[in-house]
Amino acid sequence: MNARAGLEFRDVHKSFGAVRALGGVSFDVTAGEAHACVGENGAGKSTLLKILGGIVRPDRGEVWFEGAVFHPGSPRDALVRGIGMVYQERLAFPNLTVAANIFAGRELTRGSAGRLDEHAMRLRTRELLEELHVPIAPDVRMEHVSAAYAQLVQVARAIAFDCRVLVLDEPTTSLTDAEVEHLFRVVLGLKARGVTLLFVSHRLPEVFRLCDRVTVLRDGAAVGTFRCADTAPDTIVRAMVGREPPQRVARTAPAASTTPALAVRGLTRRPWFEDVTLDVRPGEIVGIFGLVGSGRTELLETIFGMARPQAGSIDVLGRPVTLRSARDAARTGLALVPEDRQQQGLCFNLSLRHNMMMPRAEKTAAAKIDVRAEVAASSAQVEQLAIRTPSVDRLPETLSGGNQQKVVAAKWLATMPKVLLLDEPTKGVDVGAKFEIHNIIRTNAADGMACLMVSSDLPEVLTVADRIIVMREGRVQGELAGAAATEESVMAMAAHT
Amino acid sequence: MRGKFWHAREFSTVLILVAEVLFFTWYLWPDGDRTHPFFNAGNFLLIFKYSSIYGIAAIGAAIVIIAGCIDLAPGAVIAMTTVVTGYLFVNLGLPLWLSAFAGLGVGLSAGLASSWLVVRAKLPPFIATLGIMGIWRGAAYIVTEARFYDLSAKLPRAWHIAGVSIDWLGPVVMILLAAVFHRFMTGYQWGRRVFAVGGNETAALFSGVPVGRVKVMAYVISGLLASISGIVLAVVQGQGKADLANGYELDIIASAVVGGASLSGGRGSVAGAVLGALIFGVLRNALPQIPGATFYDRLIVGVVVIVIVVMDQLLVRRET
Repeated sequence: MNARAGLEFRDVHKSFGAVRALGGVSFDVTAGEAHACVGENGAGKSTLLKILGGIVRPDRGEVWFEGAVFHPGSPRDALVRGIGMVYQERLAFPNLTVAANIFAGRELTRGSAGRLDEHAMRLRTRELLEELHVPIAPDVRMEHVSAAYAQLVQVARAIAFDCRVLVLDEPTTSLTDAEVEHLFRVVLGLKARGVTLLFVSHRLPEVFRLCDRVTVLRDGAAVGTFRCADTAPDTIVRAMVGREPPQRVARTAPAASTTPALAVRGLTRRPWFEDVTLDVRPGEIVGIFGLVGSGRTELLETIFGMARPQAGSIDVLGRPVTLRSARDAARTGLALVPEDRQQQGLCFNLSLRHNMMMPRAEKTAAAKIDVRAEVAASSAQVEQLAIRTPSVDRLPETLSGGNQQKVVAAKWLATMPKVLLLDEPTKGVDVGAKFEIHNIIRTNAADGMACLMVSSDLPEVLTVADRIIVMREGRVQGELAGAAATEESVMAMAAHT
Repeated sequence: MRGKFWHAREFSTVLILVAEVLFFTWYLWPDGDRTHPFFNAGNFLLIFKYSSIYGIAAIGAAIVIIAGCIDLAPGAVIAMTTVVTGYLFVNLGLPLWLSAFAGLGVGLSAGLASSWLVVRAKLPPFIATLGIMGIWRGAAYIVTEARFYDLSAKLPRAWHIAGVSIDWLGPVVMILLAAVFHRFMTGYQWGRRVFAVGGNETAALFSGVPVGRVKVMAYVISGLLASISGIVLAVVQGQGKADLANGYELDIIASAVVGGASLSGGRGSVAGAVLGALIFGVLRNALPQIPGATFYDRLIVGVVVIVIVVMDQLLVRRET
């Protein structure tokens, strides 16, 4: 390979305890190219990035960078040697200013005592932000910076010093389309200046737009590198999943005359949403689409009793209800699969069984834990939802993101709800798991469950929902029949026109 | 709570305790055929008797810590309980059982007040319970005005209950309560809620767990158990006094932590906390018997806490 500035992985192995994360990964990234690395959750992408970023060391194998073996001893070491990392999560110091975040660990100092040179750091930050077209001040605290700009601040941190390889880990997960555009323009600008890009993503359209080549990882090994220009997306998907995607579960939408299982009338909770009216019938899947910030998550949480509405009413199975907590909601027959499985979905100190059985126990108000019944019920869920785990006594962290998401769904399906609320059910899960989760929703709808699904993923809403409700700035903009809706008609309703 | 893992955790605490006992048995081996100063039944009863004061309260501390909170009040609650019980029993001449029962009110009110401050007023648990600690300790001084209530004068000498010496009161109460609360934490929905709240409060809330009520329960249990410690102390030592149990709160928390409780919440064990209290009890008993170690015992106790917790974390890191 090109010895000038390329990056090459040679037979890299890494295991964590008994779990093999990487089992001999080899591929190369040519200097100056945009290279994508794709794979399902658990394929080993994040471990690879951690090795590159100096967070973990490989057990065996080598990483070559610019013609020499490269084994950074720490994240700082990697950065100093020209590898800039942009992680999916926000930066680590929400309480510090943008400038302080950019220079964290490498502060500019004056004099021998190492006094901080705030002025120089502020000036340099302003320069960097201008270069990236980010209209925020260096003194703003990080917690007040939007997700999109936080992402770009990370880019600024990476390029603040000499950066020759920029690594982007799922940078677009929480961004709107316009924000993604902005990020991509910045990144392509860097590429034009000769920066090598390594882009990790679940979103194939983005990969094809941005990258020259793509390497597919599966089960800790690189299964192939493809040229984007002469490869079809389907080829990549098959390489990632290693099998044909599962068949879509067939179902028929219920008749419009059925009494709704969930009827929301004029629900208002300012400043998030106002005067929301919607129905979901048993067996129906209703999708709520809208841009980030259109009040959808808050709407679901209010229906679920996590917050009190200022006006409006909620009827479940034809009876008006007033819910004061998730517990009330569970007892009324509602279930919510929340957006953020790490924060809101799972207790990582408890086994899968305890996680899956918790809402059910709250619903039935059983005092004593019947271990045998719980093992049986949770094992049944594991089997039904095809959760890949050797035992229900495992901890959630041993599972891939897609399987964790299925556990969150399982804990609520175990309560046998009448109405299932789903908030971004496939956020951050891989292609295979996404198909499976869609089928789980379809199967339950076919059994008569009313499903209300919030999603920012437009193709997902179009393929799964029978009806699509479009929200903008906290108000319902309109409703479209799933079969008749197109990306254009939905977007036209959701965006300002 | 997680099968093998928790077993291993308590098992390692037992191993430390056994190793400690073996060490002191060897180190303090007497010359000739004098009785062993450490390894004899009378001394073990003494260790149990003194450990039970920490041990009973450490059960509650473990529960609060598992819930992701902290309780600094137990020391003050113990002192105030001895004062209240002593005052009612000695000055007002109420029967002992009634005085002791009233003493429980100290812990109950401390638990309710702490949890109100944490749940409703949203104070950080450290600050809230620091305040409650000051209030109860202060109240004890105000009530006693530097005197103390001499319960022993009114209690029968060499007192026996059902043929068992009063010295056994603390150990028996501790072991019974440990068994009850260990079962409560591992086999019942309330216990699981405590683990869930400590592990991820938001996820617990989204799962329908009544988070506020769980915290109230944890603090009330902690308060009541501290009061029971206080009653045992008052009866066994025969005193009600404002400066009893000074600084115990930290020893109680240390017992829970040495027994496997994680201050970041979601992990820990009631049985472990009691074992932790015994580990300290053995140290406090044996160290003063080593010639020349008198001034070193606090330092050694501090070092032991750090060594045990570091070892524990290394073990956990290897398992995950």
